[in-house]
Amino acid sequence: MIKILIRYAILFVTTLLVLAALSFSLAYLFPGDVLVNLSGITPHNAAQRAALMRQYQLDEPYIFQFIHYVGELLRGNWGYSFVSGLSLREEIGIAMPATIELSAYALLTAILVGVPLGCFAGLRSYSKSDYIINSASMVSYSFPVFWLALVFILIFSLEMGVAPLSGRVSLLFDVPDKTGFILLDIILAKNIDSALALGDALKHLILPTISIALISTASMIRLTRRSVIDVLNSPYIAAAESRGLSKSQIFFRHILRNALLPILPLMAIQITTLITNAMIVETLFSWPGIGNWLIQAIYQRDYPALRVGMLAVATVVVSFTILIDLFNRFIDPSREKYERATV
Amino acid sequence: MPQYSLYQEESQPSPWQRTWEEFRASHIAFTGLIILTLFFFIALFAPIVAPYDPLQQNIDVLLVPPSWESNGTITHLFGTDALGRDVFSRIMVGCRVTFGSSILLVLIAMLVGVTVGTIAGMTSGVRSSVINHTLDALMAIPTLLIAIIIVAILGTGLVNSMWAITLALIPQFIHHTRAFVRSEMKKEYILASRLDGATSKQLFFHSILPNMIEMLVVQGSLALSIAVIDISALGFLNLGAQPPLPELGVILADGLDVAYIAPWNVALPGLTIFLMVLAINIVGDGLRSALRKRLSH
Repeated sequence: MIKILIRYAILFVTTLLVLAALSFSLAYLFPGDVLVNLSGITPHNAAQRAALMRQYQLDEPYIFQFIHYVGELLRGNWGYSFVSGLSLREEIGIAMPATIELSAYALLTAILVGVPLGCFAGLRSYSKSDYIINSASMVSYSFPVFWLALVFILIFSLEMGVAPLSGRVSLLFDVPDKTGFILLDIILAKNIDSALALGDALKHLILPTISIALISTASMIRLTRRSVIDVLNSPYIAAAESRGLSKSQIFFRHILRNALLPILPLMAIQITTLITNAMIVETLFSWPGIGNWLIQAIYQRDYPALRVGMLAVATVVVSFTILIDLFNRFIDPSREKYERATV
Repeated sequence: MPQYSLYQEESQPSPWQRTWEEFRASHIAFTGLIILTLFFFIALFAPIVAPYDPLQQNIDVLLVPPSWESNGTITHLFGTDALGRDVFSRIMVGCRVTFGSSILLVLIAMLVGVTVGTIAGMTSGVRSSVINHTLDALMAIPTLLIAIIIVAILGTGLVNSMWAITLALIPQFIHHTRAFVRSEMKKEYILASRLDGATSKQLFFHSILPNMIEMLVVQGSLALSIAVIDISALGFLNLGAQPPLPELGVILADGLDVAYIAPWNVALPGLTIFLMVLAINIVGDGLRSALRKRLSH
């Protein structure tokens, strides 16, 4: 147990160090001045430049620069944005929760819809209903997410006018930013009509969430279905049947647990796809998340923002992946390494 | 005529033939294959088949609706865009750009991934374990992020976005190759060749690679569908191919300005990407279930 924990901690720290090294080398790889890329401040005269050089220890060897860089990152001094001049840490602190929130709702939808449907299809494998569910999931798995979101905007926002086009909540509601998660913020806010604001926020949420969730749900259905079919073919199910257990007993006691076990590590891969899709969908719905922020940063060639933004997103994704993996290792010690199967 | 027949069947199909039999038995998979072949031929012969030059602008025929609408003409089958370019020709050439570059980048990723994966799979020890684990964790970084960084360093362009997606796909191939080589190395037929004195190079090319091809085809089909979606997504976000080049995502982004008055400029390129990805996924899925059926028999 402790051995596993230590191994994962080492893995986590090594990966983060590799990512930090990548992020540090980006300051040199990006076009323009290294000092400006690193700090986000354009020095106006030689004296200020020399002071900044000393502050970032740029006159020392690379390895000391890197150690200093990691120290600055840990202290929360992430540099400043070219464009807005604001502290990058604050900007990312606002943008990141928005993305995590959107992805979390999409993932939740995918699990709540995908797992039952997948079980249903798997139990009735090679029947008509299985065939329909399987084909539908194949179709929705093949949608390019940016096109799907556009079609949703065209149909639901422009033609029918049932859902708002962009943003997280109507500007009429003055929601103070406390946690960064809009639904929590609304509940915490004092001077607004919470019920009305919540309804409005949900309306804003529904289209982006569905665009992302549709694809994740499809892969969830396929993973669950495959897993259930594999479990159904195993001898202990035949043994349970021969003991005369009822169908629901077999399902809840034997099938469900064993089928869900291999799905968990596969969810780790889903997170990458999920975040990528969320980042693309954010730009279409002007959702103030990290994907939108990064893409605006690349359009404006805001190099300090890209350097830190990349590190932030990669860290979040890698942490989630390793956490899921660790959790999986604890509940299923028989699994040696994590597996990456096909959808 | 031998006195007794060792096998009951008249013919003994090779593993590949048996996979093909299983694959053909599924009508959906076969239809997918036909559509995919069609896309392949469009990609090969687009410049010859396309009725118009995809870049030629014509101010006489701005925003002509597709031919199935009441005021559309048959001379422009899918209508024209805001600059009077023929949408049908643009989509055909777009298939060539998107599909062709996806195939190319998947092949490159496969080559690199298999090479590195084999080396990682045949060696062992603490160092390889550390590299492998870090690689697995780095695999989690989204393609879009890698693409954004590469664009920031090298600038936009189709080739740069291809590099980004290749980089993002390589870890998958490494991972699968490594796992496959590891499990094969423990099998007895490898041990037998080893006892015969085969070098590791001979082991790989004569024993492991022939068995790995099926896995590579399945992984390649998965990677191809990811590559098509990613390349068009980057084109759409203006981070990949640049506007005059008719790439499907770029055509879609171009059509966005006139989406309200000319929805076919958004619908048709999107539908093409969707069909392409669907065909690839159906063929990949059919292939996988054919292999599974063959192995279970």
